[in-house]
Amino acid sequence: MSVLQNAAPMNRNNNGNLVDIRDVSFKYSTRTILDNLTLSIPRGKVTAIMGGSGCGKTSLLNLIGGRLRPSQGQVLVDGLNVPDLNIKELYELRKRMGMLFQHGALLTDLSVFENVAFPIREHTRLPEAVLRNVVLMKLQTVGLRGARDLMPWELSGGMARRVALARAIVLEPMMIMYDEPFTGLDPISMGVIAKLIRELNQVLGITSIVVSHDVAEASLISDYAYLLGDGRILGQGTPTELQQSTSPHVRQFMDGLPDGPVPYTYPARNYLDDLLEKGA
Amino acid sequence: MKFLENIGAGVLQSVERLGRAAFFLSEVVGHGWVLVTRFWLVVQQLYSVGVFTLPIVLVSGLFVGMVLGLQLYNTLVKFGAAESLGLVLALSLLRELGPVVTALLFAGRAGSALTAEIGLMKATEQLAGMEMMAVNPVMRVIAPRFLAGVIAMPLLAALFSAIGIFGGQMIGVGLLGVDSGAFWSQMQNGVDFHEDIMNGVIKSVVFGVVVTGIAVFEGYDAVPNSEGVARATNHTVVYSSLAVLGLDFIMTSLMLGEI
Repeated sequence: MSVLQNAAPMNRNNNGNLVDIRDVSFKYSTRTILDNLTLSIPRGKVTAIMGGSGCGKTSLLNLIGGRLRPSQGQVLVDGLNVPDLNIKELYELRKRMGMLFQHGALLTDLSVFENVAFPIREHTRLPEAVLRNVVLMKLQTVGLRGARDLMPWELSGGMARRVALARAIVLEPMMIMYDEPFTGLDPISMGVIAKLIRELNQVLGITSIVVSHDVAEASLISDYAYLLGDGRILGQGTPTELQQSTSPHVRQFMDGLPDGPVPYTYPARNYLDDLLEKGA
Repeated sequence: MKFLENIGAGVLQSVERLGRAAFFLSEVVGHGWVLVTRFWLVVQQLYSVGVFTLPIVLVSGLFVGMVLGLQLYNTLVKFGAAESLGLVLALSLLRELGPVVTALLFAGRAGSALTAEIGLMKATEQLAGMEMMAVNPVMRVIAPRFLAGVIAMPLLAALFSAIGIFGGQMIGVGLLGVDSGAFWSQMQNGVDFHEDIMNGVIKSVVFGVVVTGIAVFEGYDAVPNSEGVARATNHTVVYSSLAVLGLDFIMTSLMLGEI
């Protein structure tokens, strides 16, 4: 399938999709962030949502997680329309979701071990010995079993995100949302996070939504990608299809061009008029 | 015209914020059962809010008591009533200075720390992270801190008054030569449990609710960046102090039956 602008989602079948966004609009005050957006996230796949800063990628994750309400449209997660859920139902759904925040969002007063144990302690009554083993297994998955006694401020950015990832998978969710998982990381940490996202998807079958503006890394790990801009889908397809797209929007983003459909200069009045007025 | 518009917008914003604060605090109070179900969380916060505020409260109480001892003695001695020093000192501390000064110190030390902590948790997405882990941050973070503040305030005020009386006694009896028997017996006979001590306790509980309520709301409602947290911390100290002084006047008037 070639890259299509505002094309229909690749699969309308609910059984194949874990998340269905249907005709969703979202506004901050009077500013439109998402405009009649329709997209699907297939089960068991890694789907990348790419786009420039402020294009509504994180808002989309917050809509899926029920932290924001759309002004119109449906946000279906595992067949449930998230905006219609009451707080109890929403929390039950969230127990089956994981989210990795941009900077990890580790609880600063708890050690690495206690951070990973936090969701288990809150939602289950596992005996301490079982809890310990579960936490150590998750920390081993992200390669940080030896860091269990460290406090969050003793971790590097990459380590903090790995701990947050261990915490996100500790309740074995059906889906994980990654909000800019590569931002601010060195190449090694970036590679580690990318490897973990891919492995968690392959080994545990977790559906993954990766929100990123890092084209290279997101393309490397995703099965399918959407490119957002101006509150709508500018392009979609497999990473290879996006790379081969001739759409000016897609080309500007994929090639990192400073000028194009997204202009370099912020809209302003005539330059000369501006200068003359100031000089007068 | 623009001026009137700005005033109107400011009033609307304030009313909206007050409404938000009322909803928020009703939710916090609704989670009061954490005192039973999350007892250890409340104890941890009681340690953080109460014990860390203890040094400043004790030191301030001692000096306030000593200064009161000096000032009151110098006035009372002119009327030949120096033996009443203990009674006047105790009434001043138990009825007014204990609850009010402790509340002001509490707002400056614990209130600002609570706001900064909660505001930073918001700015670093810790509260959002909890929500996404299906853990209500109001129940897990806010309610234990609020309860700890409400419990700690009367205890700190009691300790402030006690050490203040001790400081006044040191100056009055130890330095200025007031009779020790008269000092304590007049205090014992003149201080009424319901009229004086309980009214002071009621005041300190109300101040605890107000100061901690403002502190947790300001933190939770802070704009999630460094400037927003700094501004919220500042608001906590200013609003709490004004609220304490204003409420003190209202409660004192009601307790004395003047209104």
